[in-house]
Amino acid sequence: MRKLKPVRILLGLVGLGVGIVAVLALREATLSTHQEVVGTGTELIVSAKTKGGEKSQRLPEMVEAQLLTCRLEVSSDFDGPIERLDSKRFRAVLDSALDDTNRRQFRGCVDDFIIDHLQVNVVELNVIP
Amino acid sequence: MKIIAWLAGIGTLLMSALYMVVSLNRWEWNRALFFGLILLIAEVALATGLVLRRLSRMEYRNRVDPAIAQILRETRPPSPDRFAWLREQSRDLNVFITFLIGGGVILSGIAWLVDRVASKTSASPAGEQKLVRQLEAISYPSGGLIVDDVTVLAQEVPGANDEQIRRLLRRAGSL
Repeated sequence: MRKLKPVRILLGLVGLGVGIVAVLALREATLSTHQEVVGTGTELIVSAKTKGGEKSQRLPEMVEAQLLTCRLEVSSDFDGPIERLDSKRFRAVLDSALDDTNRRQFRGCVDDFIIDHLQVNVVELNVIP
Repeated sequence: MKIIAWLAGIGTLLMSALYMVVSLNRWEWNRALFFGLILLIAEVALATGLVLRRLSRMEYRNRVDPAIAQILRETRPPSPDRFAWLREQSRDLNVFITFLIGGGVILSGIAWLVDRVASKTSASPAGEQKLVRQLEAISYPSGGLIVDDVTVLAQEVPGANDEQIRRLLRRAGSL
């Protein structure tokens, strides 16, 4: 059996430690921890663009589909319709104030690839006092 | 060119791993799955490349110098010709075939003799009588295996206290 050098053992231990810390940090970052938030709602402003979609698909309905899908993850309803601010930007208001974890989850869902040929980016996501 | 390919593979591996972790951290599951797939493809490609490189190195290491191989081939001792006697005899009288035919004739004669002796000894009336005498020792009793009534009644005889015999006689009596 080949004898291991101390440097290699040290490097292996360092790598193992870094891996464990990284996994723990990732676990902490993706763990849902909810707390009470004071506020009447959450305002969302997104910019969206579509490329290569079907001709019958319009950008507002694609954005609406994505936002309706994502609001299911945070168990919150939209307060009123989704407004179109300009050719790319849309605004919606959720009827509950989202805590930090829910905001991250909602932002991640909206930024994610949910609807084909649609890319949505969150511009603002703020709790309404 | 190889270096560029290796760098591209390693870069893809590292960047896909980085973006996968970032996407997980941002709760973007579909993006994380996509980058995980890219990471897996890059990993398999790099592993395949490493295995192929190791195999090609082994092949190169095992490649011999043709000049040395030629020298070894030329100085190789001649292999013994074990059938030279057969080739030398083929021009003269063929001893091998003679022995073969002669041996066959002798073996056929011996087999004929054995057959004649066996036919004279096994099928004779005296042999059959001897066989009958030998088989009498293991033949069935003349009345068969079922016990008669006299024997059944004999179980009550004083002294017949063998339990196995009693059980056998009882069963026979119930038939």
